[in-house]
Amino acid sequence: MLATALIFTACDGDDDGGSTFADPTVTAPSSVKEVANGASGESVDFTVSVDAGLTATYTATGSGVTVTNGSGAVSGGTVTINFDAGTVAGAASITLTVTDSENQKASGTAVIDIAEDEKTVRLTSNISADATWTADKVYVLGGRITVLDGATLTIEPGTVIKGEAGTGANATALLIARGAKLMAEGTAALPIIFTSVADEIQPEDVAAGNYASPNLDPVINGLWGGVIVLGKAVISASNDNDEDVSEVQIEGIPTSDPNGLYGGTNDADNSGVIRYISIRHGGANIGSGNEINGLTLGAVGSATVIEHVEIVSNQDDGIEWFGGTVNVNNVVVWNTGDDGIDTDQAWRGTLDNFVVITPAGHNFELDGPEGSFLGGHTIQNGSVIASDADRVSEDLINVDANSIVALKNIYITGAAEGQKINRITAVDVIFDNIIINVPAADLGNYVNGEPVPAGIVAGTTPQADTSVFGWTWASKAGAITGI
Amino acid sequence: MKQLLLLLFLLPAWLLSAQDGIIRGSVIEDSNGEPIIGANILIQELATGTTTDLDGTFSVDVAPGIYTLQITYIGYQTLNIETVEVAAGQVALFENIRLAESSLELAEVVVTAKVIKTSEAALLTVKKNSAVMMDGVSSAKMKLTGDATAVEAAKRVTGVSVEGGKYVYVRGLGDRYSKTTLNNVEIPGLDPDRNTLQMDIFPTNLIDNIVVSKNFTADMPADFTGGLLNVETKDFPEEKIFNVSVSTSYNPQMNLNSDFLSYEGGATDFLGYDDGTRELPAAANQETIPTPIFFSDQEVSDFVRSFNPTLAVERQSSFLNFGAGLSLGNQVDLGKGDDSKSKLGYIFSISYKTDYNFYDEVINAEYQRFSDPDAFEIRYATIQDGEIGEKNILIGILGGLAYKTKLTKIRLTAMRLQNGESRAGKFDIINDGEAVGQSGYIANSDNLEYNERSLSNVLLNGTHVTGQSGWEIDWRISPTISVSTDPDIRKTALTYTPVDTFFSAGAAGNPSRIWRYLDETNIIGKVDLTKKYVFKGSDAKLKFGASHAFKERDYEILFFDIQFFANQSWPNPLDASLVLQDQYIYPNRPNSIYYQSGNNTPNPNAYSSNINNTGAYISNEFTPIRNLKTILGVRAENFTQRHTGRDQKFASGDSSGRNLDNEVVLDALDFFPSVNLIYALTESQNLRASYSRTIARPSFKELSFAQIIDPITNRIFNGSLFTYSDWDGNLSETRINNFDLRWEWFLEREQIFSISGFYKQFDNPIELVRIPEQQTSTEFQPRNVGDGQLYGVELEFRKELDFLSPALRNLSISSNVTLVESQIDMTDLEFNSRKGFERTGETIERTRQMAGQSPFVINAGITYSNTESGLDAGLFYNVKGSTLSIVGVGLYPDVFLDPFHSLNFSIIKRFGKDRNSTIDFKIANILNDKLESSFRSFEAENQLFSRLNPGISFGIGYGHKF
Repeated sequence: MLATALIFTACDGDDDGGSTFADPTVTAPSSVKEVANGASGESVDFTVSVDAGLTATYTATGSGVTVTNGSGAVSGGTVTINFDAGTVAGAASITLTVTDSENQKASGTAVIDIAEDEKTVRLTSNISADATWTADKVYVLGGRITVLDGATLTIEPGTVIKGEAGTGANATALLIARGAKLMAEGTAALPIIFTSVADEIQPEDVAAGNYASPNLDPVINGLWGGVIVLGKAVISASNDNDEDVSEVQIEGIPTSDPNGLYGGTNDADNSGVIRYISIRHGGANIGSGNEINGLTLGAVGSATVIEHVEIVSNQDDGIEWFGGTVNVNNVVVWNTGDDGIDTDQAWRGTLDNFVVITPAGHNFELDGPEGSFLGGHTIQNGSVIASDADRVSEDLINVDANSIVALKNIYITGAAEGQKINRITAVDVIFDNIIINVPAADLGNYVNGEPVPAGIVAGTTPQADTSVFGWTWASKAGAITGI
Repeated sequence: MKQLLLLLFLLPAWLLSAQDGIIRGSVIEDSNGEPIIGANILIQELATGTTTDLDGTFSVDVAPGIYTLQITYIGYQTLNIETVEVAAGQVALFENIRLAESSLELAEVVVTAKVIKTSEAALLTVKKNSAVMMDGVSSAKMKLTGDATAVEAAKRVTGVSVEGGKYVYVRGLGDRYSKTTLNNVEIPGLDPDRNTLQMDIFPTNLIDNIVVSKNFTADMPADFTGGLLNVETKDFPEEKIFNVSVSTSYNPQMNLNSDFLSYEGGATDFLGYDDGTRELPAAANQETIPTPIFFSDQEVSDFVRSFNPTLAVERQSSFLNFGAGLSLGNQVDLGKGDDSKSKLGYIFSISYKTDYNFYDEVINAEYQRFSDPDAFEIRYATIQDGEIGEKNILIGILGGLAYKTKLTKIRLTAMRLQNGESRAGKFDIINDGEAVGQSGYIANSDNLEYNERSLSNVLLNGTHVTGQSGWEIDWRISPTISVSTDPDIRKTALTYTPVDTFFSAGAAGNPSRIWRYLDETNIIGKVDLTKKYVFKGSDAKLKFGASHAFKERDYEILFFDIQFFANQSWPNPLDASLVLQDQYIYPNRPNSIYYQSGNNTPNPNAYSSNINNTGAYISNEFTPIRNLKTILGVRAENFTQRHTGRDQKFASGDSSGRNLDNEVVLDALDFFPSVNLIYALTESQNLRASYSRTIARPSFKELSFAQIIDPITNRIFNGSLFTYSDWDGNLSETRINNFDLRWEWFLEREQIFSISGFYKQFDNPIELVRIPEQQTSTEFQPRNVGDGQLYGVELEFRKELDFLSPALRNLSISSNVTLVESQIDMTDLEFNSRKGFERTGETIERTRQMAGQSPFVINAGITYSNTESGLDAGLFYNVKGSTLSIVGVGLYPDVFLDPFHSLNFSIIKRFGKDRNSTIDFKIANILNDKLESSFRSFEAENQLFSRLNPGISFGIGYGHKF
């Protein structure tokens, strides 16, 4: 049936041969095409007609837009012109000219409206080339966004990043894969805020020095994932004596995403600079016991700089280290749903100057090496509030029998009945000037085992230098008091 | 429907004048058990008669009296059956009358009706002469033993073991390599992820036979390797059937137990389906569900309240298990006295079962090795121990109508199964923070689950034979729709700390709810042509045919997590029933409960898959050399599997993720040759040899991006399409070369002795592998592992004990013992990671045993059968050797299924007028063994992976034939 119709059309054409050819026509869309500022891969359709006995070509030119298929042959009744929108908001246009084989011409113009530059940039794809996030916009994580090996993501001071809601595979997060770099260098005046889309905080608030969420309490957690940095330093994982599987999957990333692998042999690895960042309301879980920490550091190397970090109300741990060698300074962990400070797989750096305020899990969850590779870390100059009227942590300090850690100059206040240092028999755990704010006579009630080691004493002297935390939400909310 | 049934009841009365009786029977060839078509049946006294039809059956209406029946067929001995008594309204039945080829010495044989009625079933003859190694039970045998359902009857087949009281396996090969068919057509089981069909739903009085084939011929589907079990339903019941039965059973641990675990379900739970109580709230099915982000307080609050508020298990008393069934059937002659008359047959059955299972001391655990090679013992990461209560409802309806003339038969059968299982569990959980990847916690969980399954199947089948030219054509078409949903799987795990009880995402997790939906449609069509001919003076048979199977599955998982928009503060003590209270629901504080969605749009945990499998075959059975029957055949199958689904990366908006839109994931044209040789050493001894090539294909679930979490154990199944580290995401079929050799000796009265040897070579076998890189959660993935092979011997016998003493005349013992040595070549990844955890003094080999293959299977039974007194009893024992079930890698030890020593006893007594009543008594799991799987590591004490204790149960049943 179709074949017959085609033949008839062809015959008609033959009959008309030799007579005058009809002029071509071009009809632009009657409605104005609306496109986003800077949008790429847009298109507009023109309706054209060309005499059946002739062939035709077209040319297209853009104003305020960049046409990507500016010339070609006409086939059929529609010519689709592809273009990328410019960044100047307002009217733009594309003019299409059709020229047939008798050199008869027709043209039409489509009007394009380029929208105002959006303040919000929603990200759904991984970052494979260097990119910069600027403080004039809000960046929304529409999924688990990974900065891939070789790429650097730079975040300007004062930038606000918000994760969409979701749990399980649907959880959002920023993942810095092995070989990628995060250059997030905020300042005390312009910190970088990672939070949930539920948070109404805007870059203007940050610029004005209002770092607290205007609408979310600092106990709300699990609204999005967190920030995960993975590197190539040595880890002591269960399979580190095996040459073919020298890497493991980071907690919080589903097994199906190989960008979650971490570990290697380069202790001096560099994952970039993280300075003055505040990570809030995150910790979405992907399965029980498998969730995202506020800041996860997997095998991060010693060339990486991490200082001035605040974690507020994360559903899992505040900061968790999985091996690696990075040093971290000046940390506030406030109201986490699980542990405050969590270390695994023989992290070999130092945490210096920190406060931990009322986590629901352990203040310190300090695990030993998992493989044959041994190494330890130092945690020093910190203050801890172990409970308040609403929240109480699980114990005071939690170490494993094989943990390797030196704990120095740590002040713990708010110790409630039942909260203890869980173990004093671990041979490679050093308690040096651990001050618990309880009467000296009661000290034994807060330590599991006897005698109380000499490094654990009763006292009232805070050990953290809290003067550097003035920029944090915790400080502005008055949570860093008495320590 | 009702009227039709009524009509069927009335038909016989209308067609058969009250004073008449019926002589009915079937005639088979003595040599091979095949029906004889067109044999003459003469009632000598009346000088009337009939001929046998395409099934070899006949039926004659006669006035009550005593007659002599003469059966004649050209080239065969004439058989006279004397003193055939026909009573008014009754059927005088002669099944499987054997006609032997005539010899000069004996042209005519005379027997009495009484003698011929107790003759053996045809099945053993079929077995002896069958092209393939097969075993089975016939309806005549089932009538003798009085087994109520197919699963009990199948237990009597040598080489068959029964799992979970309903699934049947052959030779100890796992589900992947077994297959069941109904009326020679593949139908999905109620559990769509199994190849095998549950057998406890077929009442034996509607089954014509159950046959297990242990090797492949070209007319069978190529995707079985261990055994193919076919259940053939009756089309023309020989006698009127109208049976009712009731049964009950009692297990001291499970029934009448006031500690039975349950939870509040719906009003129609007792009918095997959910009335909407567990339905997903409509608003939950959209891309953005109401959360405190961008939604009003009222919207969020209404949304939370739209979910069923029950999260807690309840202690309730369980009742006795109960079952009832009704079955009926008959055949009716249409057009009386006419030799070309046609017949109508019908069957119908309905059964209802409700079972309670209660397991205490249930264990699910994860263990790890230490990294120190001198630390031999393994340590736990998580141990859950607790109780599970299950209430299971099964309703089965089966109906069939058949019509035949002398040379044509058409039948239509329909089946509907409805099954609802409600499960409640309560577990104590301990997690060791010192184990790798674990955070350490103590918790207690309430688990609520419901699984609803249904299956609807229709079969339309036609068989036509030609009178003299020896052609038979058989065609079948069979659509099936099966549905399996798990609405509202709830897990609520409370985390305990020394100072508090609350929900901790970093420990035992927040409460979660899951909905799973599965729909599958299958359509199978096939046509088989058979031509009988004579080759070098012997019967020969050429068979050829074609088939097409289309299957399509839609699958989806939706997942929701409870979250808190405020500090948690709970009553002390807290239990799961106190969680979803109004005062804790958003925007109320404390707790401020709301739901968060775990579902991307599009959903990576949803897929749609389909297969098209076109098959064609040709097979020739002939005897080229005297006594050497040869069957040569080849089957071709063109199989295409397509998948629509996407990985999580794509689903979360990353265009570099994988998205398949009805893309081909498996596509192969395979040829499956088979050679079967049967050499008759003597009248009663055969030597068989065979070679065939078969295939085992990945299932829909295996070839997907689905990630399926078991909410009780937290173990996660990953579809194989995910690429990971060393795994390329291309799961391929397993192709198998099978070699079999068997010597068999058939003795009188179904006694048999046989020895077989077999060798199977597996190309790309599929096994479930622990994903080693993931250490926080427990994840598995089906993968092709290195090539495998196995060889084994099988010893089988059934012997009556009268040779010891005549007093033991009715006792017989039967046994089937299979020993198998299997071997898989490890991949480099597996070898190296095992090597990495080699213990001091341990030597890691490059090979290991195959997953799913038992090193031995023992079936043994003693049966007592006294047809005169109507007493039948049996004691059956079954055990499988330790079977590798999950391939552990590196940190994780292998998991083995431990032997389960199953010993069951049953006794059946028939009594009353015409022995129309039966009473049976059963004891299951007499040894009170437990179903256990365990972790095994070199020089380490075995540690439990899982444990269920089924306990001992006692059952009693009563049945009556009207």
